[in-house]
Amino acid sequence: MQPYLRSNDANARSNNMLDKLDHAQLCQWLSAVAEQRDKQAFTHLFQFFAPKILRIAQGKFNHSNQANEVVQETMTNVWRKAHLFDQSKGAPTTWVYTVMRNVTFDMLRKVKGNKEDNLSDDIWPLAEMPSSEDASFDDHLESKQLRNVIETLPLEQQQVVKGFYFMEMSQEQLANHLNLPLGTIKSRLRLAIAKLKVKLGEHHD
Amino acid sequence: MIKHHPTFELLQSFVNGDLPASLAAGIAIHADMCPKCQQQIAQLTEQVAQASFEEVFLDRFIVDESPSNDSIVSFDIDSMVEQITEHNDIAHVSSPKEKTIIFNDKQYQLPKALANMEFGSTSHIGKLSRTRIQLNEDEIRTSLLHIEPGGGVPAHTHKGFELTLLLAGTFHDEHGEYVEGDFIMLDKSHTHHPESPQGCLCYTIANDALHFTQGINRLLNPIGTFIY
Repeated sequence: MQPYLRSNDANARSNNMLDKLDHAQLCQWLSAVAEQRDKQAFTHLFQFFAPKILRIAQGKFNHSNQANEVVQETMTNVWRKAHLFDQSKGAPTTWVYTVMRNVTFDMLRKVKGNKEDNLSDDIWPLAEMPSSEDASFDDHLESKQLRNVIETLPLEQQQVVKGFYFMEMSQEQLANHLNLPLGTIKSRLRLAIAKLKVKLGEHHD
Repeated sequence: MIKHHPTFELLQSFVNGDLPASLAAGIAIHADMCPKCQQQIAQLTEQVAQASFEEVFLDRFIVDESPSNDSIVSFDIDSMVEQITEHNDIAHVSSPKEKTIIFNDKQYQLPKALANMEFGSTSHIGKLSRTRIQLNEDEIRTSLLHIEPGGGVPAHTHKGFELTLLLAGTFHDEHGEYVEGDFIMLDKSHTHHPESPQGCLCYTIANDALHFTQGINRLLNPIGTFIY
């Protein structure tokens, strides 16, 4: 193993100056994005990967807009899916490559007029499928979809909704449990439900 | 034991994302049943990822040579980062839908790779049933082919190429016996007459005979411009 280059106060400049590729650093940025939604870490990842992705995409697409779209879409997926990266399963570069290849594959199908069916994640899964971590929820499709929507709510509203609907706690129990006034629980629940209605409505167009 | 595997060139193009969806899905299905190919795919992916992202010297060379070349980075990093991180939503990967299909009163669980593909209607000829998978890949046609016990396909050659991936059951032809997971790629040099005493379900891909020359050339040069 070669020693990793230290880049303690990694700013944009030192990022460009990495002499040896630092997998540990990339892993750390990915996990900071996954766990803390760390924008600074994401900026580093962006600076490292985006120019390379752009160059590769320019070789595959005729229009620079499309190449830019690959960058945008790939990096968006890195931001939104970083929690699927498991460093015990492979290198961070391999994971980002998979994200990029999948985005490119789906876009090429679209550009070529085949279909907009986004098959890539079925062909090349980005993660092993979660097994039983969500065992507390009913497994049928409806609640899965609902849960996905619930996850888009602000954290404090999620807590209330999940407690109330999935764990069937009363509003009073929730107030005790979260150490909040009952009125706060009620208003959070009301807000959350209003948002859910809008979001589910959008899905069911 | 699986005896028939994709060629190295096909695995490499699979990893590169250069194959049409039909073939890419076929290789993904095979790899799910074949640890050997799965491992080879993992290695190839790591290599191509390295080549893509870890050519640091090349990278610096370009940066140093053309420091003001706008076409290399034609976007505004700050605003793109800002735009992407504006939303804090995390993408949730739900387990793929369980997709099943029924042939002759028997229900089959289909591989994950087919979970979001659109299926056409099923047609029957004797003991054969065929369901088209609608991938819109021009002359390449993808189907699920079901053979009832005791059925078979009359002897034929292939003017283009034909992939048969055995999903369930068994069949045999002049070249031998096939088992679940076998990835059988044939071209015009093969004549065969498959028979399935116990019945089987296959994922099949063939290109139109009319486009033979073009099609076969493309397949034999998968690294080239197969789908572009």
